[in-house]
Amino acid sequence: MHEFSITSQIVQNVLAEAEKRGAKKVTEVNLTIGKLTFLGLEQVRFAYEVLTKGTIAEGSRLVIEEQEGFVKCSNCGYQGGFKYEDDPMYHVPVPTLKCPKCGSTVSIASGKECTIRNIKMLVK
Amino acid sequence: MRRQPLLLTKKPIGRLFPTLAPLKKGVVKAEEGEIYDVELSKDLLKANQRLADENKQLLHENGAKAIDIMGAIGSGKTSLIEKLVRVLKDRYRIAVFKGDLTTTIDAELIARHGVETVAITTGKECHLDANLVRKALQKLNLKIINLLLIENVGNLICPAEFPLGSDKRLVVVSVTEGPYMIIKHPFIFMDADVVAINKTDLAKPMGVDVKRLERDVKTINPKAKVVATNCRTGEGIEGVAKALGL
Repeated sequence: MHEFSITSQIVQNVLAEAEKRGAKKVTEVNLTIGKLTFLGLEQVRFAYEVLTKGTIAEGSRLVIEEQEGFVKCSNCGYQGGFKYEDDPMYHVPVPTLKCPKCGSTVSIASGKECTIRNIKMLVK
Repeated sequence: MRRQPLLLTKKPIGRLFPTLAPLKKGVVKAEEGEIYDVELSKDLLKANQRLADENKQLLHENGAKAIDIMGAIGSGKTSLIEKLVRVLKDRYRIAVFKGDLTTTIDAELIARHGVETVAITTGKECHLDANLVRKALQKLNLKIINLLLIENVGNLICPAEFPLGSDKRLVVVSVTEGPYMIIKHPFIFMDADVVAINKTDLAKPMGVDVKRLERDVKTINPKAKVVATNCRTGEGIEGVAKALGL
């Protein structure tokens, strides 16, 4: 949903970092994007291509690693994937905050990140 | 029907990323320049979270708590706030932030009840973010309030991604949105402390089962408190206040 504004922040950060280190070219940017964010990867790639045009990051490789959504339960200590509710009325399995092991409420441990992990750049 | 793929995926990858192949050579050709591999680990969504934490701290330092009120367009967020204000006016010194794309219509509706109201018009953004709330906080005399109600832009998707610094999050969903609104948007309900199922007077003509909606909320988020409301009669408003700990 907010791919363009988030990607524009990504590009700003990348370019600032590159400038700080006197790079002449950015060659690769590695991102981690959580599956619980509302960021579509295709749109992020598209926005990245558009936003880097005419900058030293133009044509750089964008590598996106997706982070699964994980939960943890403070009651029984469960850590892992969501419990999905699969009611025939729902048509698709719906993720829930119910602990798959003990049924109490879990909290989200990962899947909401949008991180620039690292940047590769050429320096003079 | 299958969605047309974006133009982006149609192009051969080599054309899209012209340096894809030359990149490896670039690494090898050390004489041209050395390659820097910079570890950054910078989370961009965390930037909003940090601002949200600052907002919360600022409010707490001034003895105020905040409620973020989210829900689809037309679910009855403003009506619910108007009713809440009437119920809570004697117990709290209330301020309201009213997020909308344009117009101050809703803000004026709320201001009629004699509470400090700041309209936040986002222009085009479909949600409030912590930075906009921070700017609005600067317009308030925090010393004279102890409860801030923040009405988010009407949307069941994006606000879930942008915490504002509130103590509790309330989602308003109405029966006129149909029977599947909750299961279709599980993530915002995961973030909710309280869910108001509004316009219960219209449940029958809509053919929507309020109990079923309640069950859907509990399925997704067992911890969330669910209150059935009708803003015309004021039914359930005290219940919402109580569920929010007010």
